[in-house]
Amino acid sequence: MEEKPILSAKDLELKFTLRGKVMTALRGISLDVYKGESLAIVGESGSGKSVFTKTFMGLTDANGAITGGELWYKDTDLTALKTEAQWRKIRGKEIAMVMQDPMTSLNPLKTVGWQIQEAVELHQGLKGAAAHAAAVEALKDVGIDDAERRYHQYPHEFSGGMRQRVVIAIAIACKPQVLICDEPTTALDVTIQAQILGLIKDLQKKYKLTTIYITHDLGVVANVADRIAVMYAGDIVEIGKCEEVFYDPKHPYTWALLSSLPQLGVKGEPLYAIEGTPPNLFVEVHGDAFAPRNPKALNIDFVERPPFFEVSPTHKARTWLLDPRAPKVEAPERIRHLKEQGVSLRVQ
Amino acid sequence: MAKYIGKRLLRSLLTLLIIITIVFSLLRLMPIEGYFENFEKLSTAQINVGLRQLGLKDPLPVQMINFWKGVFKGDWGVSHKYRVGAPVLDIIAEKVPVSMKMGLAALGIALLLGLPLGILMARSTRTRFKIGDKLGTVFVVIIEGIPAAIYHLLIQFYGSKLPGFDMFFHADRPLTWILPIFSLALGNIAYYAMWLRRYMVDENNKDYVRLARAKGVSGGRIFSSHVFRNAIVPLAQFIPTSVILTLMGSLYVESLYSIPGMGGLLVQAIQRQDNTLVQALVLIYAAISILGLLVGDIFMALLDPRIALGKKEGDR
Repeated sequence: MEEKPILSAKDLELKFTLRGKVMTALRGISLDVYKGESLAIVGESGSGKSVFTKTFMGLTDANGAITGGELWYKDTDLTALKTEAQWRKIRGKEIAMVMQDPMTSLNPLKTVGWQIQEAVELHQGLKGAAAHAAAVEALKDVGIDDAERRYHQYPHEFSGGMRQRVVIAIAIACKPQVLICDEPTTALDVTIQAQILGLIKDLQKKYKLTTIYITHDLGVVANVADRIAVMYAGDIVEIGKCEEVFYDPKHPYTWALLSSLPQLGVKGEPLYAIEGTPPNLFVEVHGDAFAPRNPKALNIDFVERPPFFEVSPTHKARTWLLDPRAPKVEAPERIRHLKEQGVSLRVQ
Repeated sequence: MAKYIGKRLLRSLLTLLIIITIVFSLLRLMPIEGYFENFEKLSTAQINVGLRQLGLKDPLPVQMINFWKGVFKGDWGVSHKYRVGAPVLDIIAEKVPVSMKMGLAALGIALLLGLPLGILMARSTRTRFKIGDKLGTVFVVIIEGIPAAIYHLLIQFYGSKLPGFDMFFHADRPLTWILPIFSLALGNIAYYAMWLRRYMVDENNKDYVRLARAKGVSGGRIFSSHVFRNAIVPLAQFIPTSVILTLMGSLYVESLYSIPGMGGLLVQAIQRQDNTLVQALVLIYAAISILGLLVGDIFMALLDPRIALGKKEGDR
């Protein structure tokens, strides 16, 4: 991957002001996303994955502001965009989003066709009958039968899975370059989840989309992603190709995360859980944010923040364990043989 | 829909019938003085003749049927106390237009000022200092919090000092209409502003608004075709009732400015035991309340596709 990234964050820092207190939600996060790839950002609730992707579209809540670092979409400096009008050139048109809960992300009083057509008219420059046809086409694209009739129906006449298809149709109708899927299947039935993921994958191929998934479901990740970025406390701690992160993880947090896979549980025994709680982001974090929860943390982990160490050209991790001077610490036994065990991460 | 409305109308009629039966029966328990202008001077025989002439010696069901026959023929009986010998319908017909003109003007003003104020406040909640919202809230709290009688009095007292204005209402002097209409409108302005603001803020925080922003819809368009459109639905339900209620007038404002409207009529009719008038007024009040609710529900169904009137669960 020598090419120029389509989306690039460099040491991005984002702070929220809440009742006079300042919370650092993104602590100098860096990420390059390349055209046509499929990247998954995983991490627990509150790790900042949604906040991070919202900055790509200027959808950060009003009390949050980027306080440092760079953020580029192609040749556009996103940190320089100030007004809503400037952002609207990016939103939908370049970067589109599929949100978590399809039950609430559609306007209940407008027909689904109207809502798709709104996007079509905004971004494809079509009007009237042509826009209508494009909206119907978008419905067909996401696998909705009888699209002409469905166009005139309201969201409450659709099931959850069908509504998520409509939300995806809206995103696709904008003809974006990048599609951000913020936990697109969390609110859906397990059987529907695989269908929706399959649909996004098909559309990605068809329209050569770059997709970014946000999820805390490692099963989803294994199914759809080329690369995985593991987030913890407002920063990416490890990033690499899917197999690299799954089968050769380097960061203690990734170890802990993989150890918690329910597939690794032994019947009758409690599932593995990470001790402690994520750090309070209202106070400054020193060293490795995960150190307080890491039983094998080194002394330096508490003092200085580790840089990214390269494991392979595609695989990096932010941990002092990769420093040549570090003592040798092995990944926990239970996740060392995931590949050999053939642990199925795929959704059935 | 038509079938639903038909059913609703039938049910409304039934409700009306029950209300009237109850009121009619209760009024029969009232002292009979209410049917005579000069009860004290009459002998028992004269009273009995009078009652017989009025049909009040008939068995109750017969009286009831006669009353309903009269209602449909437009003969609602005559007043015996309030204005002796005048048909009650004439009394009402003379007062309704004054109240209604005034009420409709006030309602129009309330919508014209209240809705924009609500929008302004809702939009202001998204700005840094929320000044518009804070000022608007102060206004709403004052109007809703202080008993209406106090500011009505203040408006009359200070307003009437303006040239051309007066403490009292004169139908032929347009300037004297302004103060009572303004008094009537004030409460409604605060009411509509408060609720529209609240519904708009609610809508604004919903996911579909976030999705609309994410797909690149402009702020102005989100406000007009998503947020305002959806926030007006719960308010629209009450507008038909408000319109119809204007013909009842306002007891307080009308007595304050000596307006010959509907406002005090029922109270006076009850105080003076004018049974025929009470009965006619109750019938009208019940009918318009029921009609208001019905029209409000239909209005709501027209605006909100999720409400399918007359359809059973699961029908498509």
